Amino acid sequence: MSDVIRPSRLGPELWDATPGKWNADEDDTLICAHVRQETHDVKSFLFRAQSPRLFRFRPGQFITLELEIDGAVINRCYTISSPPTRPDTLSITVKRHPGGKVSNWLHDNMKPGLKIKALGPSGDFSCTLHAGPRYLFLSGGSGVTPLMSMARTLYELGEDHDVVFVHSARSPRDIIFRHELAMMTYGTSNFRTAFVCEKIGEARDWSAPTGYLSLPLLKSIVPDLAQREIFCCGPEAYMANVRAMLRDAGFDMAHYHEESFSFERQGVRQPEAETVLVGDETPAASFKIEFTRSGRTIDCRPDQFILDAARAAGMRLPFSCSKGVCGTCKSKKLSGQVAMTHGGGIRQREIDAGMILICCSKPLENVTIEK
Amino acid sequence: MQISNELRAMIGRRRPGYSLEAPFYRTKEVFDLDMDVIFGRHWIYVGVEPDIPEPGDYFTVPLGRTSIVVVRDDDMTVRAFHNVCRHRGARLCDGEKGSVGNVVCPYHQWTYDLTGKLIHTEHMGDEFDRSQFSLKTVHVGNIAGLLFICLADEPPADFEQMRQEMEPYILPHRISDCKIAYEEDLIENGNWKFTMENNRECYHCKANHPELTVSLYEFGFGYQPSPENADEVQAFRELIVREHARWESCGLPSVEREFLDSRVTAYRTERLPLDKAGESQTMNSKVACQKLLGDLTQRNLGGLSFWTQPNSWHHFMSDHIVTFSVLPIDPERTLLRTKWLVHKDAVEGRDYDPKQLSEVWHETNKQDGALVERTQIGSQSAAYQPGPYSPYTEELVEKFMSWYFKRLRAETGHETATVSPFAASA
Repeated sequence: MSDVIRPSRLGPELWDATPGKWNADEDDTLICAHVRQETHDVKSFLFRAQSPRLFRFRPGQFITLELEIDGAVINRCYTISSPPTRPDTLSITVKRHPGGKVSNWLHDNMKPGLKIKALGPSGDFSCTLHAGPRYLFLSGGSGVTPLMSMARTLYELGEDHDVVFVHSARSPRDIIFRHELAMMTYGTSNFRTAFVCEKIGEARDWSAPTGYLSLPLLKSIVPDLAQREIFCCGPEAYMANVRAMLRDAGFDMAHYHEESFSFERQGVRQPEAETVLVGDETPAASFKIEFTRSGRTIDCRPDQFILDAARAAGMRLPFSCSKGVCGTCKSKKLSGQVAMTHGGGIRQREIDAGMILICCSKPLENVTIEK
Repeated sequence: MQISNELRAMIGRRRPGYSLEAPFYRTKEVFDLDMDVIFGRHWIYVGVEPDIPEPGDYFTVPLGRTSIVVVRDDDMTVRAFHNVCRHRGARLCDGEKGSVGNVVCPYHQWTYDLTGKLIHTEHMGDEFDRSQFSLKTVHVGNIAGLLFICLADEPPADFEQMRQEMEPYILPHRISDCKIAYEEDLIENGNWKFTMENNRECYHCKANHPELTVSLYEFGFGYQPSPENADEVQAFRELIVREHARWESCGLPSVEREFLDSRVTAYRTERLPLDKAGESQTMNSKVACQKLLGDLTQRNLGGLSFWTQPNSWHHFMSDHIVTFSVLPIDPERTLLRTKWLVHKDAVEGRDYDPKQLSEVWHETNKQDGALVERTQIGSQSAAYQPGPYSPYTEELVEKFMSWYFKRLRAETGHETATVSPFAASA
């Protein structure tokens, strides 16, 4: 990566030329153009191509960054937060994740002039593939990014689409793009926003209800829910909650679309046991893991291995390899589903008999373990 | 291994046709020599494929102070390792049988894959070269589902010859399509050679094995002719000729092949008629399992016997298989491991009853164990001296001893010069 200063795009020759379309196969290098602080722990990184290029993609799609961190090459997928209607740049929006290798590296190191490799765009989570008369965008945390790309696109096309954008955040100060979303509501008659905050934090004047998104709350915000094309992105637990809510409401799920943070759920095989998260997100919600012998119940995020959550909660459980090879952490699962990517430390018939390796299992719901 | 001049002299002066001088059955020096040159350098029968039907299944083989673990790996290949962690030597796999993902030492969790490769260690530093600490492998030989191991670096090559010759006999019984219906470990209080001597003759059968002799003819292993038994022996000989012709025509090799002291990997086989109903080694000589083995359709196929030096014998009937493995524990104790196999689709309680299936050999083993103990006790007497084997009924005992001494002499550098004591009578 080098800090090459290019002539400004505003120079008369460059400005008058019509740039070609960006093609990741040929132009696989992006240059950081700008870093914008969105909230206290969220930054947007704007990139441009090495030579003038126009970015054309479907709003909601993602790119894959290839980063070299501490000598190791790491690939991470990030949904694009900018709209294709601002084709000179492309942005991703990243929340700093405690312990997150990539998010922290980006926050601490990425600055204008730095080059990175990028692949894509890819993905089929886009309002352009499911055009409807009315949309409901549901997002949790930094799951806002693909929906922001869609909202910005619909806004800038000037067609006054009917959109309700319901975003869930930890507290008012964690709402990403709050002011830009508000600005879009001023310029249109059919674009509305609603924010659901877990708690008010320091925003004492926050008047909206606090807590988690629920069906009654959603119905009160969007009474015509059933007539809308729904796009949802957020932590797995958040989306599971939304799906359950919509099913309870009798919603026709053919009109429900979601972007998973976990690539496993999209059927993409990961080379490593670790699940790669789009957006390096820390999902807000978590599942309960009950250990019957220890009499402990702990919280475990859907992107977290049960062993890690148990250790973080101060439990001392036997383990060794932490990658599903040795089987030292083998435990009997009494209830609940998990996603396990083991390395040969457990046999299929043991799995069939209800055993799991907690070092490489992530909860898909509340789980009870005999340990 | 260093051996004393006294033992060297004893090996040199062994008198063919006689049992051995007492120290061969009792001393630690001879036992250590046996474990080194007999059990350490020859093919040892240890179990069957149905012991480990699925990947990750293992069984352990106790052999003196050594333990071997036999596993089935993810490619369904059978492998064997010394059951010793390369870290500080802890025993790896417990019990007689089990199932693992990878082989993990319970002490410090050193983890080996099923090919024996060390794949995980903690706290050994970044420079630690795991490739230098794979499990120590043991050779595996497989004859149509009978599993043998050899601890030698270079195992006897004539195993392959035995395999090629024996497979046509055993394959119709299809061991790999069997399950173990019953198994039993019996510790006999005697030297392993007493166990083998006892097995290689039926001199003792009539008086000691009321259950076994329901179906087993005592003539199959040598008999002294006399006017009283001449008709019976002649009838048995004619029966063998007739039955062999019938079985061979069904594609079941039956004729005797005998290399009990003429090869390093020594064996004998023959399909022998059974008495009464002629079907199986049971209390009424009828099948103990209604579902026959492999594609067999006839019940009266007698019993195919297979004896190997130094430590096994096997009986294959139309409905079930019984296999025996002799594993020395110490100079005066021996483990006899017996397994009863039936077709894997046979249903317990409907097609067979494990008790009924196993009772003949369960009783016979107990009786043999008592006989072995009786010899062991007797050999401790100051009055004990080697006694003569019967040239009629104990020829196979002599062949066992002849093989044993040939192997001792070959492996300890003695000249081999043996003459069959029974040459004149043969």
